[in-house]
Amino acid sequence: MSRTNEVSITVNGERYDETIPNRMLLVDFIREHIGLTGTHVGCTYEGACGACTVHLDGAAVKSCLMLAVQADGHDVTTVEGLANDDGLSPLQQAFNDQHGLQCGYCTAGILMNMTDFLREHPDPSEDEIRRALIGNLCRCTGYVHIVRAVKAAAAVGTK
Amino acid sequence: MFPAEIEHYFRPQSVGEIHKLLANYPEGDATLIAGGQSLMQAIKSRMLRPVCLIDLQDVADLQGIDNANGLTIGAMTRYAVIAGYDEIPVAYAAIRDAASHVGDRQVRNRGTIGGSVCWNYVASCMPTVVLGTNGCLRISGADGEVREVAADDFFFGPFETACGEDEILLSVSWPTPSGKSGSAYKKWGLATDALPVVGMCVSLSLDGGNICNDARVAIAGLADGGQLVTAGGAALLGFDGNPEAIGPVTAAVIDSVECQSDHWASAVYREQLIRNLGAEVIERAYQRATAAQP
Amino acid sequence: MASSEQVAEKPWLGARMARKEDLRLVTGKGQYIGDIVLPRMAHAVFVRSDYAHARIRSIDTAAALAVPGVIAVITGQDLVDDVRTMPQPVLLPNLPAKYPTFSALAIDKVKFHGTPVALVIARHKYIAEDASELVEVDYEELPVVTDPEAALEAGAPVINEDHDDNEIFAMTFTGGETEQEQIANAKAVDEVFANADVTIKKRFRVHRTGLTPMEPRGVLCDWSEADGLTAWITTQRPHIDRLALIDLLDIPADKVRVIAPRDQGGGFGVKAPFFRENVVIAHVARKLRRPVRWVESRHESLMNVGQERDQINDLEIAASNDGTLLAFRNHGVADNGTGETGVYWGFVMPFLGAVELPNTYTWQKADVHLRVAVTNKACITPSRAFGHFPTRFAIERAIDMVAHKLGMEPAEVRRKNLITELPYTSVTGEFYDSGDLIKLWDNLMAQVDLKEFRTEQAAAREEGRYIGIGYATGVELSGMASEVLVPMENQPGYGAATVRIDPRGAVLVFGGDAPQGQGHETSVSQVVANAFGTNPKDTVTVEGDTGTTPFGSGTIGARGASYFMSAVHNACVEIKQKICRILAHDFGVEGSYEDFEFANSEVVYLADPSLRKTFRQAVERIIMHPINMPVGEVGGLEATVYFEAPEQMVCFNADLCIVEVDINSGEFDILKWVSSEDVGNVINPLIVDGQMQGAIVQGLSNTIFEEFIYDEQGQQLTADFENYKIANAADTPNIDITYASTPCPHTPLGTRGIGEGRPASVPGALTNAICDALIPFGIEITELPLRPDTLWEKLQAARGDR
Repeated sequence: MSRTNEVSITVNGERYDETIPNRMLLVDFIREHIGLTGTHVGCTYEGACGACTVHLDGAAVKSCLMLAVQADGHDVTTVEGLANDDGLSPLQQAFNDQHGLQCGYCTAGILMNMTDFLREHPDPSEDEIRRALIGNLCRCTGYVHIVRAVKAAAAVGTK
Repeated sequence: MFPAEIEHYFRPQSVGEIHKLLANYPEGDATLIAGGQSLMQAIKSRMLRPVCLIDLQDVADLQGIDNANGLTIGAMTRYAVIAGYDEIPVAYAAIRDAASHVGDRQVRNRGTIGGSVCWNYVASCMPTVVLGTNGCLRISGADGEVREVAADDFFFGPFETACGEDEILLSVSWPTPSGKSGSAYKKWGLATDALPVVGMCVSLSLDGGNICNDARVAIAGLADGGQLVTAGGAALLGFDGNPEAIGPVTAAVIDSVECQSDHWASAVYREQLIRNLGAEVIERAYQRATAAQP
Repeated sequence: MASSEQVAEKPWLGARMARKEDLRLVTGKGQYIGDIVLPRMAHAVFVRSDYAHARIRSIDTAAALAVPGVIAVITGQDLVDDVRTMPQPVLLPNLPAKYPTFSALAIDKVKFHGTPVALVIARHKYIAEDASELVEVDYEELPVVTDPEAALEAGAPVINEDHDDNEIFAMTFTGGETEQEQIANAKAVDEVFANADVTIKKRFRVHRTGLTPMEPRGVLCDWSEADGLTAWITTQRPHIDRLALIDLLDIPADKVRVIAPRDQGGGFGVKAPFFRENVVIAHVARKLRRPVRWVESRHESLMNVGQERDQINDLEIAASNDGTLLAFRNHGVADNGTGETGVYWGFVMPFLGAVELPNTYTWQKADVHLRVAVTNKACITPSRAFGHFPTRFAIERAIDMVAHKLGMEPAEVRRKNLITELPYTSVTGEFYDSGDLIKLWDNLMAQVDLKEFRTEQAAAREEGRYIGIGYATGVELSGMASEVLVPMENQPGYGAATVRIDPRGAVLVFGGDAPQGQGHETSVSQVVANAFGTNPKDTVTVEGDTGTTPFGSGTIGARGASYFMSAVHNACVEIKQKICRILAHDFGVEGSYEDFEFANSEVVYLADPSLRKTFRQAVERIIMHPINMPVGEVGGLEATVYFEAPEQMVCFNADLCIVEVDINSGEFDILKWVSSEDVGNVINPLIVDGQMQGAIVQGLSNTIFEEFIYDEQGQQLTADFENYKIANAADTPNIDITYASTPCPHTPLGTRGIGEGRPASVPGALTNAICDALIPFGIEITELPLRPDTLWEKLQAARGDR
């Protein structure tokens, strides 16, 4: 009966060598085990809301649909890892400028997904942005300002 | 909401290692996890309580797309990789159509073709396109022998496939397309890219005069899960691209399937979806076929 | 550089200032209920009933208790001695209804699928869930009632057994107080109908749907002998929750503090009631003498809260040939669910829905009745567009039907009947204080060339394309005056704020409400900057903590810009007056408030601008150096102000949308959505735009995608986001918000509270546009949700009929 495993997971550049239960979800590892609470949980088991989206080796994934042990040996980036010493990332800044958030609960997941998306599509159309957002539910904004913010960030990036 | 206890978690490096691990557990105790985008839902809701979870992410032999002799997609190839792979022959373009619209970006970054076909969810795109394009599933048996199973013999019904609990799906493959062939897939759901209320896959081959001489039709979203509609393929024989000829084909499909009414759509609406989606995918598959280099 | 820096020194009222809240929220530094962790905190999981209606024979907790890591398992029996049953007086509206008495954990029977029957407390949340699976409840199933009309029939199984039947509330809203007056009124309405040129009569049905915040509910309670109970609750009304906990747990008032977390992931009304779970968690924290946290799962949330709408309205309208609306009759039946939710009890929503039936139109007469039925479903919860989403759908759809029958433009019928003279009291007694509906409407119609559209529409039809235009208008309460809220909810309506000046010139604002994304910190800082001539970045706003804030009825019903912001402004004025008095004394001049200007972080004596002090110097002198003071003045700068408007206030809106319908699939695209808003003076248009866009998409999502489905056994089939579909970005349109505002005469800044009722006009506008597109087929939509399959089936039937 082991029930636990040793893992080595790098989160926002910091390596965590830990022994954790096999069943621990990655999102709980991030939020509760190491205390980075910017990543949120909005559904039960279905993984449909996207609030828990993080980067796994740079790609946006839902951290509630993974076990933490599956991230052993990988790089995880959370919303806390987006800003750097120079301040907010262009996308974070655009969300502020364009009022792309209200309650902020879904925001971390959207920022993580859209950061990955803009890396793949530096100059997206509105249609592409809206389709890329399907995995993130937002209840407050009606998405209008979110789409505007992603466009604005793309414009900064493509300058 | 949270998984029940998982006693053991392993991350083998090879197919052989997976077999060794599987052999250590009574049937049903060990579960393979690929992308986990459906499996984790089942584990979190405790519908599944694996004693041992075997994670396939490190098995290099299960990864990647090979375009050299026909098309082979490793079981652990993720949707995003398939969707972004522009070398897929138009004969099998339906695979890419489907992979590009599964769930959402995050799910496509993680979910795999192998996981999807083995899970064979009742309303699911990948099993339907594998059926519709007549894919061949390579399975490594408990004895280490590799067998090939045609799509027609692989999907038994929702959540049931020919891949036994002690077996491992290695890849899905398709032969080098013969002549002018094309395929297409499209679904309709309650929301964009949602699970298919109805999904339609058509693949067809044309003779020198651009007349259809071979075709398959598969459908997603019905109560029995993804299924091949033989009558649909038969009705497409002789199809010459004339839009007027599409109606009888979708009528033949409707005649030979049973559409259910549920909270998502009535049976008659599903039939209408078959007409509408059928018209679109037949046309697209035909166009792709005519453009194909024989 | 942050945008707020770039726009410094401009008039702050009306500035599109980027929000102050965002910096923490975009960097993952928000603090939501699930982020708060206390030492030794235990985790709670509710065990909920699998049946919709059943007697509890027994509950066996032994196996659950035996799980290592489990601290306690409690059932309803464990509450009997320590927790009073609901309701308690603070949770009762002043409306005549049959309030059920119930225990926070069900004891004798369960009344809906998801009723809490036990609570497992463990050291880890995974273990709490493990153990919750082992709680054995033996049920005896009872007959289930899920249809409100069936529930009202004689002989239906009675769900709340302390009553004779399932009618929790019934009311006639027109004619007067007495039955005789009401009968006379009904007769008068009959007469109008008998003599009218045209009448229409339809049954309008709106499904069960509502608002689901992205963050579900949560409660964290701590207990200490010294301080008593501290409860962090996801709530829009911390002060009301505190009173409820005092009453339910019989704790002295000095021993209860409720804190709404600084960040809450949406509320929309769903976090406004006092919920039974709150008191259970508070009880176990007290009993176990350790912190206990419950974080609701999405599954629980969708089973228990956020369900609203769910009404049948039999509506009749009488009109003249020239399009004048004369009178309407409405018989509403609303599905209340169990009626076990504190403060609102379900029926309060349809009550307001019936009151708001007349909308923005003039009627000579009306005859309005409502019956509300208890069923074996979750109690309906307030959800933005509180009660009037279904009634507004009905009235707005019916007006288009009248227009179709008369062969008139629906736009013309609407404009002709808009209320033109305000103040106005509607036929159901709702008071509209001020506004300009004609200006609002004309601004809306200026966004489209209707004549050109009709030409385009005709040409499109020739090509087999079906485009349509639809409208709806709306009125919403801008907060509720005590005159309205006391009779309705038994609570005060005033706004309250404490403004405290820091010796270094910062401004601290304390409010008793509890926002969940509305941007109060930003709007407050703009109001303060406007008052003191300081920079918004120098203001800090604290809300939600009953230990530090004045009493407030909560962030509900668009009270922000109407009541809370007015209180903030008035508190600033009080402080300014004191500063002026003392500075006049210091400068040796005669002068009061009017003689000084607060601008550019300075206080200037207008008659002699050489007499000036920086704001910081001025406040530091008064707070830190209170010597040589004018007679009767003491140091310090702080004011608490309660603001009550002289009149109940409202705001207005109108929506216009253009759609294209594919008649082969029943699918429709929204090509354009534009609004016109009469919302008074706007503090921050960026925030108001966002509020309106969000509300409109919520309305669309409710109309098209979302539906709570119960089967005949009362099983909830839509308790996850795979089955309860919320609109995503790819399925929603862009929305243009435009303004045609009239300043509110009843608030110091001319502001009105906005946004609560805003989704209500959406289903009318959308379905009107679709019906307009499909006029060749004569389709009139009267039921929601509006899905492609049902629309296509209607089209098929219409084509068959032709």
